Formats: sequence, C-alpha cells, structure tokens
Amino acid sequence: MHNLTLITFLPALGALLVALLPTRETRVLRGITLAVTTLVALLGVALFCAFDGQLAATQFAQSVDWFSLGSTHVRYEMGVDGISILLITLTAILMPFVTLASSGHITERTREFLVWLLLMETGMLGVFASADLVLFYFFWEVSLVPLYFILGIWGGERRLYATVKFFLFTLSGSLLMLLAVIGLIQQAAAGGVQSTNIVALTDWASAAPLSAQYWLFAGFAIAFAIKVPLFPFHTWLADAHTQAPTSGSVILAGVLLKMGTYGLLRFGIGMFPAAAIHAAPLFMALGAFGIVYGALLAMAQTDVKRLIACSSVSHLGYVVLGMFALTHAGLRGSVLQMINHGLSTGLLFLLFGALYERRHSRAVDSYGGVAAVMPLFAFFWVFAVLSSVGLPGLNGFVGEWLILIGTFQRSPVLATLAVTGVIFGAVYLLSVTRRLLFGEVTHAETRSLKDLGTREVAIVTPLCLLCLWIGVQPSVLINKTAGSLDALVERVDGARREMVVGELADPQGHVPQQQKAVR
Amino acid sequence: MNPDLISQYFNAQSAAALAPLVTLAAGLLLLILCECFESLRPARPFIFVGSILGAAWAEVALMNGPVEAVLGGTYSADRASALWGLVFLASTLIAWVHARSYYHRSRPFLGEHDMLLLAAPLGMMMMAGALDLTVFFVGLELLSIPLYCLASFRRQRSESVEAGLKYFLLGAFSVGLFLYGAALLYTATGTLSLPALAEAAASAQGFSPMAQVGVAFLLGSLLFKLSVWPFHMWVPDVYQGAPTPVTILMATGTKAAALAVTLRITGLLPDTSAGLIALLAVLTMAAGNLGALVQSNLKRLLAYSGVAHAGTLMLLVAALRANGALGPETTSAALFYMAAYVATAGGAFGLLAWLEADGDHFTEIESLKGLGRRRPALAAAMTLFLLSLGGIPATGGFLAKYLVFSVALDAQLTGYAIAGVLMSVIALGYYLRVIVAMYMEPASDQVAPPMAKRTDAMIATAVCAGLVLVMGVLPALFLNLV
Repeated sequence: MHNLTLITFLPALGALLVALLPTRETRVLRGITLAVTTLVALLGVALFCAFDGQLAATQFAQSVDWFSLGSTHVRYEMGVDGISILLITLTAILMPFVTLASSGHITERTREFLVWLLLMETGMLGVFASADLVLFYFFWEVSLVPLYFILGIWGGERRLYATVKFFLFTLSGSLLMLLAVIGLIQQAAAGGVQSTNIVALTDWASAAPLSAQYWLFAGFAIAFAIKVPLFPFHTWLADAHTQAPTSGSVILAGVLLKMGTYGLLRFGIGMFPAAAIHAAPLFMALGAFGIVYGALLAMAQTDVKRLIACSSVSHLGYVVLGMFALTHAGLRGSVLQMINHGLSTGLLFLLFGALYERRHSRAVDSYGGVAAVMPLFAFFWVFAVLSSVGLPGLNGFVGEWLILIGTFQRSPVLATLAVTGVIFGAVYLLSVTRRLLFGEVTHAETRSLKDLGTREVAIVTPLCLLCLWIGVQPSVLINKTAGSLDALVERVDGARREMVVGELADPQGHVPQQQKAVR
Repeated sequence: MNPDLISQYFNAQSAAALAPLVTLAAGLLLLILCECFESLRPARPFIFVGSILGAAWAEVALMNGPVEAVLGGTYSADRASALWGLVFLASTLIAWVHARSYYHRSRPFLGEHDMLLLAAPLGMMMMAGALDLTVFFVGLELLSIPLYCLASFRRQRSESVEAGLKYFLLGAFSVGLFLYGAALLYTATGTLSLPALAEAAASAQGFSPMAQVGVAFLLGSLLFKLSVWPFHMWVPDVYQGAPTPVTILMATGTKAAALAVTLRITGLLPDTSAGLIALLAVLTMAAGNLGALVQSNLKRLLAYSGVAHAGTLMLLVAALRANGALGPETTSAALFYMAAYVATAGGAFGLLAWLEADGDHFTEIESLKGLGRRRPALAAAMTLFLLSLGGIPATGGFLAKYLVFSVALDAQLTGYAIAGVLMSVIALGYYLRVIVAMYMEPASDQVAPPMAKRTDAMIATAVCAGLVLVMGVLPALFLNLV
C-alpha cells in the first residue's frame, strides 16, 4: 500500500496511457489524468497518515541494485524522512487541482500537455522520494524537461526567452551540483563509504573535516540557491512565472521552488553542518535581504503575475532565513513555510489564472471593481491574500512566527529586518487587492465578467480549507517533521561543539568573526 | 619458410584474435565478387549484414576468452578491444542502414559503397588492437582511404567532392605526421612496438627529445581523427558536405577508434602533459560549443557538437595521463561514452540523413519548425537524441557525462571539470534551440520535408532511441560488460 515507487511512477504510467490512447476526445484524456493524479493524491495522503513523525530514520524504504561505478554501488533507493513526506504530500495534493485548472487555459495540444504534466509529477515526486544521491540527481535534472516544454509551448508571448533562461539558469546550478555529487561520492569512497545512500553519505560527510565539507557544500548550495531562488539568482523566476501558463506557475511556485529549499535543508545543512554553520550568516543575510528586496520589487510591479513571483522571492527568503538560523523553531517554521507558500501562492496563481482566462490581461490597471461583479472570486482572493500575508488563524502566520522566533534567537537584527518584510508584504498584497477588486469599475469589459464557476470553486475551496486547517492545527504537520528536524539540529549542534573544541585547541581560530557574533 | 615459424605465428590464439578481421575481410571479398555477377547482386545486403554479425559474434567470443599479444606481439585482442570492436560494428551498421534510404532516390545504391563501408571497421579494429606502429598504420590507412572515397561519394554534388578532397588533403597531412612521428620514434628508440616504447618512456632516463617530438607528432595525427582543437577545422565542412551516412561513421566509429588508440598511447606522453591535454580538452569544448551556437544548419551544428564531445573525451585522456592507475575506470568510461554516443549521434545524424534524402535544405533549423506537429514520432526521437547529447538524465548521455567527470575528478582535474561543466550549459543552449524550433515555434509553411516512409531507417532510429533510453535507465547492462 505505502509504496513510494508506485506513487512516483503511477503518473508516468498515466502519461504513457494518455500518450498512446487512440482517442481524439480531450475530455477522456483529461479524465484519465485527473483520475491518476487524484489516485496519487489519495496514496500521498495515506502515506502521510502512516508516517511516524517521531522517528528520524528513513521510512517506507525500497532498495534494488541499480549499477556500479568502480567500487561504488549505486542503488535504486526510495524512502522518505520527516521533511520529504510533507513535500510529497503537497505535490500529490496540488496536482489534481492543477489538472482541473488546466482545462480552463489549455485548449491546444491538450494531449501533449497532459503527458508533460504527468511526467512532471513523476519527476517532482522522485526528487523528494529518492534515498540515493545519484537517483536524487537523476530526478532533479529530469524534472527540468517537462516544465521546459510546459513553459515553452503553452506560455505567454515572451515564453521562449523565459523558458531558455529558466532552463540554463537551473542547469548551470545543477551541473555544478553534479560535480559536488561526484566529489562527495569519491571522497566518501576513499573514506570507506562505498555507497551512494543519502543517509550513509550524510553520516560520513557530517563528520568530515571542514576543509572537505567546504567546497562540496558550495557546489550543492549554489545549485539549490538558484532553484529557490535566492538573491542574486532570482532573475529567472520573475520571467518564468510571468510567462508560464497558470498550471505551470502553480507547479513552479508550489513545488519546484521547494526542491531548492528542500535541497538546502537536507543536503546543504544535513550533510555539511560545519560548513553550513560557517555559511549561515551569509545565507541568513541573503534571506533577510531577499525578504525586503522581493517585497520592494513586488511593490513596483504593475503585472499581477510578476508581482506574485516577486512575492515568492520574499516568502522564500523567510524559508532560507529560518532554515539557517539552525534552531528548532527556525527549522520547523521553515519547513512549514515551504508548505504554506506552496498552498497560498498556488492559490493566488490559480485565482489570477481564472481572471486572466476571462480578460487576458495581466496588468493590474486593466481591472478595478472586480468585487462588484465577481463576489466569489473576491472572497477567495482576499482569503488567499490573507493567508499569504500571514493573518493569525491561517497557515502563513504559524510559519512566519516560528521563523521569526528562531531567527531572533540567533540574530535580533535580521529578525527585525525580516519583520519589516511582513509589513511590506501586507502593503503590496493588500494594495494590489484594492486596485484589483475595489473602487470604481474602470473598464467596460469588467462589467460583463462571469463569477467563478463550479469547477473553479471546486478547485480553490479545498485548498482554502487546507490553509485554514494548517492555521488552526499546525501541530499535525510539525509533529511529522519533529524526529527528522531534531536529529538535524543535534547534528548541527554536534558540529558546533566540535568547532568550539577545535578552536580551544587551536588558539588562532579559523572561525570567521561574524560567526562568533551570531553565536 | 620454416613450418615452426609459421605455427609459432599462426596458431589457435591468433586465429581467435583475428577472427573478426578475417570475417570482415571475407565479406569484403564476397562483395567484390558480387559486383562481377549480376545474378549475385541481390545477396549484397545479406553478405554485408552477415559479415557484420559474424564479426560481432567473434568479438563476443573474444570478450569471454581474450587473447593477449599474438603474431609476434604485434596485435592483441583483449576484452576492451573486443568491446571497442562491437562499438565500431554498431556504428558501421547504423551508417549502412541509413545509407540504404539515403541513396534510395538520388542514385542506385552501389556495390562499391558497401565494400568501402565494410573496410572501415576492419581498419578501426586493427587500430584498436595494434601493439605495433606498423600494424597501426595499416589500420589507419584501411580506415582513412575508404572514408576519403565515401566522403565524396555523391560526386555530382560539389559539396560532397569538396568534403572528400578536404578530408583527403588534411587526412594525408595527418598520416604524414604520423609516419614522421613513427620514424622519429624508431630512430630514437630502435623499436616500433608499443609495449617496448612504453617501457622506454617509463624508464629512468625517459624519452630523448627526438622521441618526444615523435610522440607529439603521433598524438597530433590522432587528435586530427578525434577532431580536437586545433585539428578540428575540417570537421564542420566535411561532416556537412559528406553524405550523411558517412558522417555517421566519421562522427562515431572513427572517433571511437581514435580515442581507443589515444588512450593506449597515453603512456608514451610525458608526465607533465596532463595539464596541457586537459587544456586542449577545454579549448576543444569551447571551440565546438561556441561554433555550434551560431549555426543555422542542424547538420553543421551537430558537427560542432561533435567537436565539443571530442573535448569531453580528451578529459579522459588527461585523467589517464595524470593518474595511470585509473586505467580500468578510464576504459569503461570511454567505452560507455562512445557506445552512448554511437546510439545518440548515430540516431541524430540518421534522422538528418532521412530528412536530407529529399533535399539538402531540409536540415536547416528553419525548416524544422513545426516538425513536432507534422512528425511527432520523428521530432520526439530527435528531442531524445538532443537531450542525450546534452547529458540530461534518463538518457545514455547523462551517465556518459557522469562517468567522464567522475574520472576527471578522481584524477584531480577539478578546475578543468568545472570548465567542462560550464561548457555543457552552452551546449544545452543550442540543443534547446532546435527543440524550440520543432515544438514551440509556428511552422513555416513554404518548407516542409515530405519524408518518404522508410522502414529500415525507422527501425534503425527506433533501435537507437531504445538504446539511448536503456543506457540511461539501466546502465548496469552495459557497465557490467567492461
């Protein structure tokens, strides 16, 4: 029942079915896709329920020989820990809604689209479910291809530029990571670990000397920072988000960016704690700067999709900030905020997509007074915005709160800076809401807009309920990650203690100054 | 002649070692015979495929029972050279199948073509198995001369004749370079045997300056065949001008043979040359990738991409020179890379041969616009090949790249590996341009390749695509062979 291979490859099988089915009826193809994604979502939820959050160990493990390189054995290994289980569930839950939403804006080459959508799901689930480093890299890079086609074929008017930029940006990061992966595997093999299992490599790498960790951490961290995207690598995101079709934007914001933060957490910090402690001030600063910078960028946008994209930069700044605080609260908030951002930004993109399908304009000026003609839309939009700005009672609040607490323990200055981001966030999101929904109806076309239909309400209602549920009951999610995150903090603290001991033994001390300030 | 001497040279061991060569040679003679009798001509395809399969069978037998130095220590058939032999045969077979459809319209498919094509793997195998520079030279000529003829085989087309002449002149120059190098080596050391030369190179006093110049000349002639900077200038013109099936053979088989030999003579190079070779590798990648970036013709683009791939392969040579203990890893990486490359580039050029059968201009990227809708299966296959050339996972190209960089990092060539990795980002830039044209740009209506239905080309493409995927997903099937 709880079979990760089944969950991961079910969409790929669905893609094969959709590709080969001799029918021209797109409704049938959409039905199949929806059925497959829904089945995967149910399996994902079942997996989530069965997962024991108190354990740090990999669960639901599966392992088969794959191939050998010299003395190193690469295995096909699947397994989840407390961090990946949440992201697998998020991916699985979002996909049926993305499929449903796609029937609104994908009218051409539907079969191809559905095939890429399903392959995309396999790629994303594979990234989170791999328990072997080479397999992880395999899925990591494979998942680029479907999104490339989704963006490039069904995107907006400047899609080709955005697509190639997206692909080459992420690819240059991933190729550097490839070298780090190879380097890590070789050094571990020299150190007696002849396996590419993530846990085995983590055990080896986290105990390795700082000099060995340093470059490997850099290789991984750059790749993930580009994917997140962390300032100054964020420029691809605005283009990709803006040009992507609604479903592509939702996948990008909801899941794909989480691959970056997930990687930073599980590989950056988890594998190289000593290097991460050294780099933490840099990453916290970049995160905090990203929060404010993203918010300022968002304020200046007149294109709503671009605005949401910039808000993503800001929100993911929180995730990175909380993560590199390396405290219990910060890490928990960071993981929770990954899910929250996926849900609320996904909602914003879905809702704006519905509006875009009616008016085909992304400019905020071409709307105004929409609330009068589309009350349901207005309700859900305001809900999503409030969830995104972190209204207490909704999901965003809990994550931001935990992150700010965690950060404050390390650096009150950065926490203060980050709090301003909360205010800015409210400013730009509420102001765009005002200009979009309220005031005079400035354009005649707006009067004839139809409110959300049954399908659209059916898409957004469950996601809104999920936001509310997380806001009220965050402990369910937090408890699932407790075991893994506690183990992570323990490993980081161990590295920190060792560093202090090393410093006492070596009075010159190679620990940089700002590190002391943070401690 | 003394019967003892004969039995000393021609025994069961040397028979086994030479079986693939003899099979090919017999096939070649039969093909000549076929040309003499009209009634035998229909048998031509069977003879061709039969001798390829027979040689492959003999190579498989050699894989399981390898033979060390035979014929007075001038030839060896170890497991690696048997595997190289299979790579050469696969490349020849792909070229031949595509040649059948390629010449289908423009002119009758001539017997000379098959004969010349069958001589090529014979030369390649001799090169890969040679332990002596004389044997090696015979192999090199046995490969080169048929290729000169084949490159100009469409003689009513001026590009083809130009390609043949260009290849011949530069090839003759590189052969001259080789002979000069061999002569210098012989003068300096008194031997042409590769093991003896390696011994001399590894000895305390090392090579004399004269011998070092000789080795440099030797390497130069191999780099020419391998299309490494600065010996790559001929590649775009010749690959583009030659009939595409011949391009398949030049791009895959010849490159594999040159690589196998280059790896073998790495021991003759001075210790300090690893950095220089790695630099050549990076420069080759730069020349190939930057050259490909500005091409508007897919055939020419793939030719430049072939140069870039030669650069990646040179990293292996540099790694082996930097750390001689990496021999097995290097060999298996090189074999896997070339096997994947034969399937990938063979498939891609094969599709081009298919497109081109109706007119040369159909290989322009411009005319590929909208191919994704008109010919979904063909465009999908091309996409797969391009992604494999770019080294995206789930294709053989990814693991090939992984293996090469793994060996390079093992040999501490980190800086060069990083440079190489950044080059492959550029590479993806132009591969994506082709995919963009096929899928994401509106079809231009005035040019649309009609695409004759060709069963054999279709099967060859499907087999190549299947191989690329299997190598990407189940690499153990191939890695365990080495």
